[in-house]
Amino acid sequence: MSVEETGYPPFPAGETLLARTPDRARPDQGGAAEPLLEVTDLRVQFRRGGRRVNAVNGLSYRLPAGRMLAIIGESGSGKSVSVRALMGLLPETATITGSARFDGSELVGLPEPEMRGRRGADIAMVFQDPTRSLNPTMKIGLQITEAVRAHADMDRNAARDRAIELLQLVKLPVPERRLVEYPHQLSGGMRQRVMIAIALAAEPRLLIADEATTALDVTTQAQIMELLLELQERLGMAVLMISHDLGLAATYAEDVIVMYAGRAVEYAPAGTLFEHVRMPYTQALLGAIPRLDREPHAPMPSTPGQAPDLTALPAGCPFAPRCTSADEQCADEPPFAEHEPGHWWACWHPVRDGA
Amino acid sequence: MAVVEAAPTLVSGTGEERSRSWLRALELIVPGAVLLLVVGACFVGPLVLPVPSPVGGNILESNLPAFSAGHLLGTDPNGNDVLARILHGGQSSLTIAIAVNLLGLLAGGTLGALSGYAGGVLDSVIMRVLDVLIAFPSLVLTLAVAQSLGPSQTNTILALAFFSVPAFARISRAATLRLREQPFMVAARLCGTRGWRVLLRHLAPNIMPQLITFGMLGMGIIIVIEGALSFLGLGIPPPAPSWGNMIAQGQASLSATPILVVWPCVALFITVLAFNLLGETLRARWSGR
Amino acid sequence: MTTTAPPDPRESRVLSRVLGSPSVRLIGKRVLMAVPIILGVSILTFWVLSLIPGNAAQQVLGPDATAAQVRALEQELGLDQPAVTRYLDWLGGAVQGDLGNSLISGQPVSGELGSRLAVTGELVGLAFVISIGLAVPVALLAAYKPNRLVDRISMVVSITGLSVANYVLALLLVLVFAVQMTVFPAIGFVPLSEGVGANLHSLALPAAAIAFPLFCFYTRFLRGDLVDQMQGEDYIVTARAKGIGPWRVLLRHAFRNSSFGLITVVGLNLGTLIGSTVIIEQIFALPGIGQLLLQAINTRDFIVVQACVVVFAIIAVLANLVADLLYAVLDPRIRYGSR
Repeated sequence: MSVEETGYPPFPAGETLLARTPDRARPDQGGAAEPLLEVTDLRVQFRRGGRRVNAVNGLSYRLPAGRMLAIIGESGSGKSVSVRALMGLLPETATITGSARFDGSELVGLPEPEMRGRRGADIAMVFQDPTRSLNPTMKIGLQITEAVRAHADMDRNAARDRAIELLQLVKLPVPERRLVEYPHQLSGGMRQRVMIAIALAAEPRLLIADEATTALDVTTQAQIMELLLELQERLGMAVLMISHDLGLAATYAEDVIVMYAGRAVEYAPAGTLFEHVRMPYTQALLGAIPRLDREPHAPMPSTPGQAPDLTALPAGCPFAPRCTSADEQCADEPPFAEHEPGHWWACWHPVRDGA
Repeated sequence: MAVVEAAPTLVSGTGEERSRSWLRALELIVPGAVLLLVVGACFVGPLVLPVPSPVGGNILESNLPAFSAGHLLGTDPNGNDVLARILHGGQSSLTIAIAVNLLGLLAGGTLGALSGYAGGVLDSVIMRVLDVLIAFPSLVLTLAVAQSLGPSQTNTILALAFFSVPAFARISRAATLRLREQPFMVAARLCGTRGWRVLLRHLAPNIMPQLITFGMLGMGIIIVIEGALSFLGLGIPPPAPSWGNMIAQGQASLSATPILVVWPCVALFITVLAFNLLGETLRARWSGR
Repeated sequence: MTTTAPPDPRESRVLSRVLGSPSVRLIGKRVLMAVPIILGVSILTFWVLSLIPGNAAQQVLGPDATAAQVRALEQELGLDQPAVTRYLDWLGGAVQGDLGNSLISGQPVSGELGSRLAVTGELVGLAFVISIGLAVPVALLAAYKPNRLVDRISMVVSITGLSVANYVLALLLVLVFAVQMTVFPAIGFVPLSEGVGANLHSLALPAAAIAFPLFCFYTRFLRGDLVDQMQGEDYIVTARAKGIGPWRVLLRHAFRNSSFGLITVVGLNLGTLIGSTVIIEQIFALPGIGQLLLQAINTRDFIVVQACVVVFAIIAVLANLVADLLYAVLDPRIRYGSR
């Protein structure tokens, strides 16, 4: 899928990604100098039955206020774990190291009571499956007002009014009636709108959408993404979107990180990334998207091999065992560096344009 | 997209983290060893150890304390050796429990598998009949039956087995329903394998673990109920020993010689606990991956 | 709006909506299913008791009775009739509340059952209150920090407690609290009419003997369900992501959902629990229905046995029914017919 097909205007290549003042940033945000979220060398390790699983291995990125960043990767690439680590939502078996600074203050190692004060208020999250993410036995109204009252001293009536307001914000029709309904009485798309309303309850500055549209059908998926985009602009939130869907990222996100085996392997503005793919893994992902201009009945290209075993990562490039251009140099780990302005990757043999 | 797929990543569904593997092995080994010890002591012990007969004791040797000469755990008011009575009582408790669970497992397992596999009218009829049996206050009717047939080991086994069928049948049916639509079952049917063969070759080996696990928990339950029957004088008839009638006998002199109640209670408790621990461990293994 | 048409369409629509609502239909279905089960239980009881060898009349009259006396009594009791006729006779009386007269005392069984049910009911009710009242806080504390000290202790206690037969526990309690410490009576029952305190005092040990294994069972069940939810359910993560406190998440989200399952389990327990009162009432000499049954069994008073067994069965079926219905009324997923 090329950028033209998606109808999303490509970003001007060559512009320095991190220095660029986001077009949709709030005016009071510092912009370039101080990103809203700065993740440096984030690592997450799980203890599982005596073994250690390295889910995230040194992830670094910066997200300016008001911008939308997509993290792309296969399941098991560590993308979900890395954002849950930011919110302190991982089980006790996880060990988190590195740094994640939100608006200048450190999130890693924050004691639980303080972390709780930030969840929802600073960073909110929308999850993959709205059917499982809403409590089936609680009315929608209570599930929203609970989020509202977690961070604001409000009485029941005020919280109810706020809940109606939030449901209007996510464009759910007849909000008063929704309040007394249960999740299973709503459609999947409506449920995800409720989830977004819950996430917006305390006006967070960063919204994490963890595969927020994966469980929805394609039409609903587009509607929810449009809603997120609109809310991002209206409220000046930064959005961190987790997805395995490159097309979705290309359409909506401004910047894209591609993750493999718990680390970033390519990072660029969306336009740059899809116009000038450098990382063979990203190219493999792109090649796996069905395209109309391919010969009928031509075999679907797929990436051979399996996602790496996170308990025993090989030395060097983790993608090397599945990579067609791998050679002996790949036994050394390629550095993740800014090889072209605004375009970062970790590969000894980057794909050339037009290849 | 061929490469990528949406699935919850590492964070969800990790379940309770289990400690190291040798600790997990202990969960099986300890109750297993205790059970082996109990079974060995009850069935082999009286043959090889110098324990006296459990009945026909000398009244002159009544109520001897523990560690008396020739009577390790002392004697009861009739002069019978307590250790011998415990071992022989355990023999009948275990025999009854094993027989009841085997009968229940075979009858209930078959009934449930048939019911779940056949579905339709047969299923509804079998399930309604089982509903009646489950609603039945089984202990209560067992009491009545045991009393009228006359207390004996065989009658106790039959009565208890009859009422243990529904539980096995339910578990077997639920497991069968889950398995029925599995690809290998469908494949077996599509290959033209005959019904009984599918049941025997494909279904039975797959539902057996669950039935056996329940049987382990059932052993504890049956031992307790058998004890209750004997306690009420409707199980193993005295003077033949059983843990239940030893407890009942001890109750009569509870304030004077409480130790006579303690021994059979301890034996009962250890055996039931071992069966429960083993059953729980097996169940956790089967349900948690 | 016109009001000319005789059958008001709105009214009939309301009626059909009520009758057609999933919960009402569900209640109707469950109630209808309970009737054949109770009938089945009564038939089975009748059949099993009729299989019992020996002549009931002979047993009542004793071995010295003449053949003529036995025949006369058989005729009086209707024992010479075929089993089907006798069952239908009995059933006809039973639905009107007449469960026959005791063979021994000649008194109507129904009256006797009433007063005894009250004692058994109080005993069981007390055991439920104690066990659930203790199990809920213990399970919550254990699930709050799984695999920590409180949790480990509660798990060891509960698996141990589940392995103690209730009659063993009863004797242990008598030994400690009645024989050694003499704070509670070993046997006997003081009716409520003689004071609540004295009444509870007399029921303390038997209720505790029944309650302890139940407490262990509920603790295990509830703790397991809570931990499963807290570690495996996405809505718990959502709740935590809102920034609400851990106790709130546990109580409002996990416990709320567990409570529906707990109700069902309690209902299912009642059936088996009734059976275990027989032995406890025997040990503590409580004038409950279990003691009546045991006496009837020992005196071969099969009319009373039949009545007791059927009453036990009805209680078990009704308890399951009520649990089912409560579950249906409380759990919105079922109430609105999504499952």
